[in-house]
Amino acid sequence: MTGVSLRGVEKKFGSVEVIKNVSLNVEPGEFLVFVGPSGSGKSTLLRMIAGLAETSAGTIHIAGRDVTRMPPGWREVAMVFQSYALYPHMTVEQNMSFGLRMTGAPKQKIEQRVAEAARILRIEPLLTRKPKQLSGGQRQRVAIGRAIVRDPKVFLFDEPLSNLDAALRLEMRVEIARIHAEIGATMIYVTHDQVEAMTLADRIVVINHGEIEQIGAPLELYEKPINKFVAGFLGQPKMNFLTGVLIERGANAVTVRLDDCECNDLVLNLPLPLSADDRITLGVRPDALAVVPPGAEGLPATVKVVEHLGSESIVYASVGRRAEFIAARLQGKTGVRHADPVTLRIDTSRCHVFDGSGLSLW
Amino acid sequence: MTDASQRAAPSGSPLRRAAIFVALVVLAGLFLAPTVGVIFSAFKTTRDISLGELWSIPSRLFLGNFAVVLEKPEIYVYLRNTFIVAISASLLSITLGSLAGYVFAKLPFFGSELLFLLFVSGLFFPPQIVLIPLFKMFNGMGLIDTLWALIIVHTAMGIPICTLLMRNFLISVPDALRESALVEGVSEWRILLFVVLPISLPALAVLATLQFTWIWNDFLWPLIMVQSDEKRTVMLGLVFLRGQYSVAWGIQGALALLASLPTLLVFLFFQRYFISGMTMGAVKG
Repeated sequence: MTGVSLRGVEKKFGSVEVIKNVSLNVEPGEFLVFVGPSGSGKSTLLRMIAGLAETSAGTIHIAGRDVTRMPPGWREVAMVFQSYALYPHMTVEQNMSFGLRMTGAPKQKIEQRVAEAARILRIEPLLTRKPKQLSGGQRQRVAIGRAIVRDPKVFLFDEPLSNLDAALRLEMRVEIARIHAEIGATMIYVTHDQVEAMTLADRIVVINHGEIEQIGAPLELYEKPINKFVAGFLGQPKMNFLTGVLIERGANAVTVRLDDCECNDLVLNLPLPLSADDRITLGVRPDALAVVPPGAEGLPATVKVVEHLGSESIVYASVGRRAEFIAARLQGKTGVRHADPVTLRIDTSRCHVFDGSGLSLW
Repeated sequence: MTDASQRAAPSGSPLRRAAIFVALVVLAGLFLAPTVGVIFSAFKTTRDISLGELWSIPSRLFLGNFAVVLEKPEIYVYLRNTFIVAISASLLSITLGSLAGYVFAKLPFFGSELLFLLFVSGLFFPPQIVLIPLFKMFNGMGLIDTLWALIIVHTAMGIPICTLLMRNFLISVPDALRESALVEGVSEWRILLFVVLPISLPALAVLATLQFTWIWNDFLWPLIMVQSDEKRTVMLGLVFLRGQYSVAWGIQGALALLASLPTLLVFLFFQRYFISGMTMGAVKG
């Protein structure tokens, strides 16, 4: 059982800072997920832990050992790449044993490790095949097997499921969760897919512009995002943001006038540290909205798109002069159709409130 | 579906297509004529050659020219010399070109692009430009009239094309393959040897064929660097080969055919590697 610790880690390409002062601890046996949009620096950070990218400043410790200046091969990590990176001229068995053979491990140990990894991944029948004879999912299993064989201190996954189709991705996601439960190793996993992050992670690290926005358990991040970015990044469909201005502040409630809405002022029963005329953003998850007949209390809206997903329906509606649609998630089927006038009722007790700079107030 | 059914429908009128076909046949005939001439004269007696035309079909299959060639002991010396030069210079230039190409493709450093251009610019130097300085240099080093001179010149002349081809091929090999091996603790040398070179077989086969053929067929450098008969290569020997009383067209034709066999064999041996697709399955596909 091994942990990873980053202290003040930075990465610069010339004058461009792609990783800015990142510090975090990965607990032994933990499944940590780096999540963020494209170009956020999450893959660079993973490559720095692997030793494939140099660290400009700060230190990286693996199992208590400073590996900051060590070449990748000395760090006792294993990496699974998005493109699988299988050696095309070798069989599955040769692919899995390559690292051990090259570093002079005893033959008996290699055979034992390959057999064990093949058993865990259920790829025993594939051992004599070449990569081109395998499906995408099988290739990724072999790539994971190659990592397991080395019994590394830390597993690093760089968007391993991005090349797979939707059904396989789901299957492999469950598979990776199972493997983690079975071998209990420390794993760091990079993805831009927030569903992968939410379902696999013990803790999620949300990264944006080379900085950590927030670290926490998946539900903690979902329910208590510290800013608009994290709130908008996690959740599908994403959180609706409604801008407005605070017009009246009481002891335990505030009155908010929403922009471009043509609706009544909204009263929130929250003790917010704000004064009149402060600008705020309301964050409303799609499941905190109800679609009710027009004329009721709420936001008058017109239905634009209805997605029927079977167990639930997503209604996208336009409100006032807003350019963006507002998404509402409804349980089961809905009778509303395109162009229907409706009212969106906000469950104000489940609202998030962000100040003018995007920081969460509630 | 068969191949024929996937083929695009021919374009243009039948007359136009017929005209193009005829033009192509005529051109092919013109290009092949000298080769046919050599093949025919190899199987003719000297009398036949002096009586008839170069392109007339031999009246009978005469193998005497081959017998004469194979009985000459110096031919074996020429062939041995050519093999020594062609094999060692091909191996050296491909080895050095692969190393340089690997660095340029996978381990770039400050100024490496410029250095690569410098390497490749070697392709545009006509060898005649460096003929005299090289002769003087090798003369000073005592390498004139040795096979070393030929090996060194052909290695140096081959490095630009080998570097260019290998670099361009290796650029297409996914970085993740190298990085994956690096993380596994494999050294850069072993990555080159056990991962990169095995999947570069198509490029290496093309280079081996090109280099071997070029060096084998070269006439200029042996002419300049080699003086004694026992250091001649086969192409030089071909020119210096004369009949007892006259220019021996038949014998020269026979040697020319024998001398082109090795390059033909090299091509036939390597052509199966030309079909690439070795990297298929390495990455998404």
